[in-house]
Amino acid sequence: MAEPLMALQHLTRQFDTRRGKITAVDDVSLALHPAEILCLVGESGSGKTTVARMAAGLLKPSAGTVEFEGKDLQKLSKDEFKEYRKAVQIVHQDPYASLNPVHTVGETLSAPLLHHKLAKGRREATRRVGELLELVDLRPAENFITKYPHQLSGGQRQRISVARAMALNPRLIIADEAVSMVDVSIRVSLLNTMLKLRNDLGVTFLFITHDLAVVKYFGWEGHVGVMYVGKLIEYGPTPKVIGRPLQPYTRALAAAIPEADPDLTRSKEKLQLRSLDIPSLTNLPGGCVFHPRCPYFEEGLCDITMPPLVEVAPDRHVACHIVERELTGQIIAAPATRQAAAD
Amino acid sequence: MTSTDERPTTPNAQGDPVPTRDATGPRPDAPVVLRVEDLWVEYRTERGWMQAVRGVDLEIRAGEAVALIGESGSGKSTLGFALQRMLVRSARVARGKVTYRTRDGKTVDLLNVDDKQFRQLRWREFSMVFQAAQNSLNPVIKVSDTFQETARAHGEHNKGRIQEKALELLRKVQLDGDRVYNAYPHELSGGMRQRVSIALSLLLDPQLIILDEPTTALDIITQRAIIDVIRTLRDQLDFTMIFISHDLSLAAELADKVVTMYAGEVVEDGPVRDVFYQPKHPYTVGLLNAVPPITGEDFTPLTAIPGATPNLLNIPSGCPFHPRCPYRTDICSRQNPPLVEIAPAHYVACHHHDQVTKEPEIWEHIEVEEVAEAAV
Repeated sequence: MAEPLMALQHLTRQFDTRRGKITAVDDVSLALHPAEILCLVGESGSGKTTVARMAAGLLKPSAGTVEFEGKDLQKLSKDEFKEYRKAVQIVHQDPYASLNPVHTVGETLSAPLLHHKLAKGRREATRRVGELLELVDLRPAENFITKYPHQLSGGQRQRISVARAMALNPRLIIADEAVSMVDVSIRVSLLNTMLKLRNDLGVTFLFITHDLAVVKYFGWEGHVGVMYVGKLIEYGPTPKVIGRPLQPYTRALAAAIPEADPDLTRSKEKLQLRSLDIPSLTNLPGGCVFHPRCPYFEEGLCDITMPPLVEVAPDRHVACHIVERELTGQIIAAPATRQAAAD
Repeated sequence: MTSTDERPTTPNAQGDPVPTRDATGPRPDAPVVLRVEDLWVEYRTERGWMQAVRGVDLEIRAGEAVALIGESGSGKSTLGFALQRMLVRSARVARGKVTYRTRDGKTVDLLNVDDKQFRQLRWREFSMVFQAAQNSLNPVIKVSDTFQETARAHGEHNKGRIQEKALELLRKVQLDGDRVYNAYPHELSGGMRQRVSIALSLLLDPQLIILDEPTTALDIITQRAIIDVIRTLRDQLDFTMIFISHDLSLAAELADKVVTMYAGEVVEDGPVRDVFYQPKHPYTVGLLNAVPPITGEDFTPLTAIPGATPNLLNIPSGCPFHPRCPYRTDICSRQNPPLVEIAPAHYVACHHHDQVTKEPEIWEHIEVEEVAEAAV
């Protein structure tokens, strides 16, 4: 496979909180190839947003590296970092907070063009702003250029955020819950707009969400990583991970989601967890972090070591002792750790 | 008429057939507990009165679970607040009537009884569970005190009996009763607080419970727990339930009857299986086509509803959905279609309901000009 556009290697991030040190992200490795869609799903506290912030260069990892086009972010020269900042753009969750309320759409979109000298003068900037609005399906563009954010609907504001991200011709867009605040009826068209950017212009997406339904639609041709309390616990092609999840937490998640179909949802097989409580990051359980809740829990195995993420089938990566044993017939864990834990 | 079901029984992971729990559907023979007639609610804004609920008619029968479904600006929450007389000061009921039938068969004009009478009805006859329960429980008042105070305010003074009832309800919502009863709300997770609110709402055995977005902002597995708790409670205690949600799948899970709202109006109202399997309002169809099933390994193409929800200060003429509708004709912009019964207990407000199908193709070619206009 070609060289990845971005490689996250053993990313770890700790925070000091009043209740002690927490590891928000623990040894996460992921690669993003050009024009690929990588979705990262997890519930609140899973660390998915922290991964996104490190990938975006907004937060330094405590350990591990973010490599963009083969180069470690921490080692980029000032000019290289500037180029990286242009190549990687972010779309945030809340379009009400991320757009400056006193700037018109035209001003918001032309600022980066002028700042980075991608447009020579006002006239060219205005032409380019028109193109950007068309690109995100806000047609006709004249209806929007002179408008302020408060004059737009939530969906339109989020399109402006996407247009602003596209102003600098980025290679990668990091979208953090970008459609979560948008109503169902307009969500699909916003996702379609972003899919078009990927299909027509080859933009790569790191897409952070808590919503498996959105992953299934938007990330169908890509990969999905599932995070739980800071750890990547499953990774694989989207149709497989969502259609046939392997890791017990992913299975529980998929089984828990209600479906918009009365007969299907009322007959759906549920996976009963042993506990409803998500462990606190300040006090994570020993062994597998999911073991206190896991219906497949095996004493003496799951409460001893955290299973590493291993490839249990072609392109299917899972962190689970039980799944690993069933699918590979063996457990590949670091023997030193296991010995230490057994002592 | 019951709708035909195209979907076979879903096999579970092992491939064994799982018995389908049947959707019970509305209860046409039960007495009407709550009747809403031509209700209009509006908010005062800088640009004049904004109509959030526009001529809603609704009938809720004893024992039914009714889902009020709509997106932001649909009026569903305003309707819920109006029913509980909890509208903010800038809102007023411009017109309409809400009639409530008490347990012992008395009829009450809910919007016109005096405050004292109304307070006697609240909690005992009906109660409400709010969205983001974290904010509806006072963080510095112990759960036990909240239960005790609520009961005392309604004439129940036997502390022991209240505690017994509270513990029983907390256990019913799958909480560790003793621990939670003696805790402060801030010591509990969001999902636990939401379950405490549900338990509290049942303290005085109300006939009707209104839940406003009961699972919104909770994690998926917590949402599942809340859904299961509500379902079990309904099996055990036969209360009537109205829940307000933007989430169609919650309606699919819990409702006997589904009411779709758009721009302050009821556009479809029918038995859950009719609305999901044979929706007849284009907006309901559009919503259903916009959410994929998670189950299954096939790709489900989705179709978007073009345009955006209307600005309530500038609602389109005729049918409020017509600018976004693939079925629209001339009449749609001139005349707002009334809600008519197209099958037993299935009501639709659409001039072209007989043409409406779930087929997604018709949605692909509709052009809507994007206009910069906040939906408010």
